[in-house]
Amino acid sequence: MDTLQFLADGFSVAFQWHNLLFAFVGVLIGTAVGVLPGIGPMSGVALLIPVTATMTSGLPTEAAAASSIILLAGVYYGAMYGGSTTSILLNTPGESSSVVTTLDGYQMAKQGRAGAALSIAAIGSFAAGIISLLGLVLLAEPLSNVALKFGPAEYFSLMLLGLAAVSGLAGKSMTKALMMTVFGLMLGTVGIDAVSGIARFTYDMPILYSGFEFLTIAVGLFALGEVFKTILERDGADGAIAKIHRILPTKQDMKDSSVPIVRSSLLGFFIGVLPGAGATLASFFSYITEKRFSKHPEKFGKGAIEGVAGPESANNAASGGAMIPLLTLGIPGSGTTAILMGALIMYNIQPGPLLFDDHPEVAWGLIASMFIGNLMLLALNMPLVRVFAKVIQTPKKYLLPIIVAISFFGVYAVQYTTFDLYLLLAFGVFGYLLTKNDFPVAPLVLALVLGPMIENNMRRALTISNGDFSIFVTKPLSLVFLIAATAWLLIPLILKMRGKSVIVNEEE
Amino acid sequence: MWKKLSAVLLAGSLTLGLAACSEGDSAEADKTSNYPERNITIVAPSGAGGGWDLTARAIAKTMNDTKLIEKPITVENKPGGGGAVYMADFATKEAKNDYALMVKSPPILINNNKAEGNSPFGYKDTRPLAQLTRDYGAIVVREDSEFKTLKDVLEAIKADPKKVTLAGGSAPGSMDHLVGVLPAFEYGIDPQSVKYVSYDGGGEAVAALLGNNADVIATDASTIAEYVKAGDVRVLAVSSTERLDGELKDVPTFQEEGIDAEFTIWRGIFAPKEMSDEAFDYWSIKLAEMAETEEWQAELERNGWQSEYHNAEEFTSYLEEQEQVIVELLTALGMEK
Repeated sequence: MDTLQFLADGFSVAFQWHNLLFAFVGVLIGTAVGVLPGIGPMSGVALLIPVTATMTSGLPTEAAAASSIILLAGVYYGAMYGGSTTSILLNTPGESSSVVTTLDGYQMAKQGRAGAALSIAAIGSFAAGIISLLGLVLLAEPLSNVALKFGPAEYFSLMLLGLAAVSGLAGKSMTKALMMTVFGLMLGTVGIDAVSGIARFTYDMPILYSGFEFLTIAVGLFALGEVFKTILERDGADGAIAKIHRILPTKQDMKDSSVPIVRSSLLGFFIGVLPGAGATLASFFSYITEKRFSKHPEKFGKGAIEGVAGPESANNAASGGAMIPLLTLGIPGSGTTAILMGALIMYNIQPGPLLFDDHPEVAWGLIASMFIGNLMLLALNMPLVRVFAKVIQTPKKYLLPIIVAISFFGVYAVQYTTFDLYLLLAFGVFGYLLTKNDFPVAPLVLALVLGPMIENNMRRALTISNGDFSIFVTKPLSLVFLIAATAWLLIPLILKMRGKSVIVNEEE
Repeated sequence: MWKKLSAVLLAGSLTLGLAACSEGDSAEADKTSNYPERNITIVAPSGAGGGWDLTARAIAKTMNDTKLIEKPITVENKPGGGGAVYMADFATKEAKNDYALMVKSPPILINNNKAEGNSPFGYKDTRPLAQLTRDYGAIVVREDSEFKTLKDVLEAIKADPKKVTLAGGSAPGSMDHLVGVLPAFEYGIDPQSVKYVSYDGGGEAVAALLGNNADVIATDASTIAEYVKAGDVRVLAVSSTERLDGELKDVPTFQEEGIDAEFTIWRGIFAPKEMSDEAFDYWSIKLAEMAETEEWQAELERNGWQSEYHNAEEFTSYLEEQEQVIVELLTALGMEK
């Protein structure tokens, strides 16, 4: 087996003591980057490129490239581990890919199950990391070809399925969820249109040219919204929070989570392989899939452990999957992989079809180091759970200012503009008003992510087909997605019409 | 426990906040002291892997490797609107930032002069620093494509423009589009009828070509070489006046194919309009020095670029000339402002 031989060579690279150190530093920084909102994997990796360049300057080019990329990739997948922490504890998503984790994670924390939520996130991430690496080793070649077959029509239909599945995020009322979805889509149109370059709804204000930053809006709606709710509704009685019973998940928790972890790892991995889809989408898809498959969907949104295990596994698996188009095709699927690609190019190593032949040391060394890095992350994160889980017992009067501070620092670190701080405040108030009136905010956030992708891919597909809409149903993959989307919307309606009681998520 | 943790969190966020401050707004930087005092950012207003990105990274690497500039130079990618999105920031928000530079090429002129997707800001809203390289456009098909020559493609478009999908990594009316429709226009095809699909960056366009979602793509000659080497694609023609060296040496020019057209993709580096003179002079000198180094020559060769250094003054007058050429071209294509 050639692959095994290469993998063994890769491990011999990864086990060199300095590469072990590089992997460790990478995942350590990655965890920190993930925990802190605002500084995401993208800026984390970008900031570290010059540092690694200096650190590796004594090594021969190829070895230097391998060491740097081992560290930088460690930051990337390490951030996926850390991202869940603030989502669960403070309702403040650390990364866009952890937004959906707030839905059940924060509820679990409120019930005194923060330890279980954090542990399951780490365990899920680990399992997902290993599964996606196996996928990377075994399926890189065939999958990269499948990813290429995804044209604009397929992307459009896949994203539409995601949007249809928004019902899975709905609260009491489907109508309200759909209103939020439309509002999110509308927000997504602001800015310079990427297909034609035309400015829309910008009113000649340059600050609006690049549209609304997704993370600003998510942090505003979730974190600040919750802060305002606590203050205004005086729900700060400290005794209300349940005591922490245990740190580790119960046997029942593990049993409930094992299937979602595996399912979401596979799902996340395949979504990650598609250039342009990414970890955020993977986590959303995983959440709505888990809710659909669950035997007790009514528990979702109220602290279902599957709602944490699924998305957290999926976003980690997606980061593994995203390595495939990067390494085999030289096509970065996300902002972070684009920066990783830039780092490789800096060492005169061109990711692409020739990478595995020309620089096996770099490619396989990286893959092998990711196995080791994932182990390190598990060992690193499990003891931290004990520390972090205590945060939830902090009195509200200390906790709330910290959340506000983290939110503002985080948003400013990404955007560098005061405009985004006002936006953050506005969406915080808005988020409070929405939640108070039972409007679910998650559909808004999902629509904001999906809207521009749906639109651009639809327009590309229609250009290719000369304006003929049948392109969406004549392409088999696209048709499958469309049928699934229709079924997702229609089946509950039909069941309802037949008088069967359908379980819609009801909040307290 | 909590105290310790909150201290760590606070310290962390503080450091971050500070880092952010020093990274971003430098408008009011202290002008009397020695420039540069901190890290410099070169922005490629596109995704990674494209021509702007590679140029920005080559500059950053050469400057740091040769110790011409000791402060670390970071490259940032700010994609969107064929460069127009970041251009707006660069001309407004960053106008006084001494620590932000931008790599650009003909789109800075094109975007400012085309009717659709017009960018209100052009090269006059920046301080051009230097031209560094030139590159050419390439017309590329899949290895197994039925098209063997540029003529085959043009004939097929002439016969039925709806049947051939041309893709590129930038918006309609921008550079990849111009490179793609230029031969068609010269061949007597209505450029408006050519079906053009825009992707976010050259990488995605190549993916569309390989995945059979486009029949032909127009892109930079330098970035396509790797795919040619791998045997995935064929280059039908390049937009230079003479044949190129290296991987593409067997590829005919537009003129050899009987198309009387050429298109040069110059790449240069721009400073914000109100950059302080101190910083501007510093960069002018450093860039001139850099263009002479062996390391820079090696970078050029590796990327398949032709060296073409012009200082700020020459570059500015070249831009004036080029602007007229672009306006003429856009007018001929019926796409002018």
